[in-house]
Amino acid sequence: MHISDGVLPMSVTVGGYAASAALAAWSARRTRSETLPKVAVVTAAFFVASLIHIPFGPTSVHLLIPGLAGALLGPSAFLAVGLGLLLQSILFQFGGLTALGANALMMGVPALICGVFFQRLKGRTRSRQSIVGGIAGALGTAMAALILALLLAAGGEDFFGVAKIALAAHVPVILIEGAVSAFTIGFLARVKPEMLEPVFASGADGTHDTAPRDPSAHG
Amino acid sequence: MKGCGSAPFRVKKLVMIAAVWACLAFPPHAALGETPGTDTASPDLTALLTERNAALSRELRGIRREIAALRADLDKPGFQEVFGGIGYILGLFGAAAFAASRRRDR
Repeated sequence: MHISDGVLPMSVTVGGYAASAALAAWSARRTRSETLPKVAVVTAAFFVASLIHIPFGPTSVHLLIPGLAGALLGPSAFLAVGLGLLLQSILFQFGGLTALGANALMMGVPALICGVFFQRLKGRTRSRQSIVGGIAGALGTAMAALILALLLAAGGEDFFGVAKIALAAHVPVILIEGAVSAFTIGFLARVKPEMLEPVFASGADGTHDTAPRDPSAHG
Repeated sequence: MKGCGSAPFRVKKLVMIAAVWACLAFPPHAALGETPGTDTASPDLTALLTERNAALSRELRGIRREIAALRADLDKPGFQEVFGGIGYILGLFGAAAFAASRRRDR
């Protein structure tokens, strides 16, 4: 789903870069240093995920996991996705460097939205977290396909046509990512539920805590 | 060729040179094979040649397809790129963590 060089008009690429830079700066500010290892691991996972190809007719599509990254990282997800996309563009030649801003928007914004969605609805029971995580994972890619159609429509394509094709092509990806996200979040909820807590919960919102928090534990 | 030898030897040499010249200048007809434009001896020969050509073009096409597939394979990201990217990620986040801890200590 990465957009290559030369597809988007100059205005869209420049605007995409501007918006992505702003969001990346915001995301970097919201990243707390204790979570840096987790962000690093999720970035690495996002980076490598695009190597998993799913055949689709004559070509293939690849996994993206913006939804899972958003659910796990919250606001840091934009930074993770942006860095992952930059490295994919440089090392794998997935997506052009000029389109990096637009690509980061296309996958970072769904990641952020899925993060908020997951945190709001996650509830306390493990099964509910797992299901909501799965939905967040599936929604991430679907939203990315819609934003892809939006970006290409800004370049003169027909929005609904592109949206239909993009969504249809990524249906297997959406299903697989939903399953993978559900499994991952279920596993984390069982093994280390603290990882699923919102990273900016320094006293702000106590209703999602599954265990009593020690305020002095926050750096 | 003065002083090459006795007269009979010279005669033999002359006869041999003449024989070679005759064979080169007027070669026996059957040894030449088909001259272009004459179809008399073998329609099978042309058919054989066309068939051989077709088989060779098929093989060439197959080889070209293999080359294209090889080229596509070369472009695929390999282990080096994966490890390089992961190294980059861990390095960047490690540097960020280091900077953050220095800031905190101060």
